Amino acid sequence: MIEDYLVLSVILFCIGILGVISRRNVFTVLMSIELMLNAANLAFVAFARLNETMDGQILAMMVIAVAAAEAALGLAVIILLHRQKGRLDSNVFSLLKG
Amino acid sequence: MYIDTLFSIFALIAIAGSLGLVLFRHPMQSALCLAVTMISLAGIYALLSAKLIFLLQLIVYAGAVMAMIVFIIMFLNLREKDLPEERERFTYLIGGAVLLIPVAWFMIKVMKSIPGVKNSIVGNGFGSIKELGQVLFTNWLVPFEIISLLLLVTLVGAVVLAGIRRESND
Repeated sequence: MIEDYLVLSVILFCIGILGVISRRNVFTVLMSIELMLNAANLAFVAFARLNETMDGQILAMMVIAVAAAEAALGLAVIILLHRQKGRLDSNVFSLLKG
Repeated sequence: MYIDTLFSIFALIAIAGSLGLVLFRHPMQSALCLAVTMISLAGIYALLSAKLIFLLQLIVYAGAVMAMIVFIIMFLNLREKDLPEERERFTYLIGGAVLLIPVAWFMIKVMKSIPGVKNSIVGNGFGSIKELGQVLFTNWLVPFEIISLLLLVTLVGAVVLAGIRRESND
C-alpha cells in the first residue's frame, strides 16, 4: 500500500530531526539535514504515485538540485570554519553571540 | 506480492542506515551509513515507478553529494581527538525522542487515513525522461529557471569563499 511509503518518510524525517538536535559534530548535522530532504523527496514521489501525476516527481527533482547546492556551500563553509577554529564542534561556531 | 517484500527489505535497510547515521561517532561511518540509506531509497523510488528520480538519486545523491562529503571528511583527516566530546548526546536523543514520538504518531495516523491504493508498477511512460521533461518545460518553467539561478548563486558563492582565503594567505 502507498501509505507504508509515507509512514517510512515520516520515520526517516523524525530520525533526521533527532540527529540534528542530539549531535554536535557539524558533519553529522549536515548529513542529518540531507536525510530529512530525502524523506521529503520520498513523500513527494509517493504522492505522485498515489495521484498518478508527475508534478511530485518534478518537485523531487528540484529538491535534489537544492540539496546538491546546499551540500556544496555547506561543505565549503565547514572547511573555512575548520581552518579558522581547528574544531568540528557546532558549539564552538556560535560567532553571533557577541 | 514481490513489491511488498522488496519494499519491506528496502525500508528496513533505510531505517537501519539512518539510525547508524545518528548513532555512530565518527563522521566517516555516518557518511557510509547515509550512502546505504540513499541507495535503498533509490530502490524504493524504482518501486514507485519513478524512473528518472531513481536515476537521479543514484547519480546525484549517492554518487556526487556523498562522494563530496566523503572527500571532505577524508581531506580534513579527522582523528579521534579532533571529534567533539558529545557526552550529553544520549540525553538529547532520549529527550528528542520523547518530544517527537507523539508528533510522529499523529503524522502516521494522518498518513494511514489517506485512502490508499495498492502499489503496482505503472507503465505507459509514467516517470520516464520524456514525459517528465514535457511537464517540466511546460507547467514548471518558472521554478526551473529559479533553480538555475540558485545553482548560479551557489557557483559564485563557492568561488568567492575560495577566493577570500587565498587573498588572506598572501
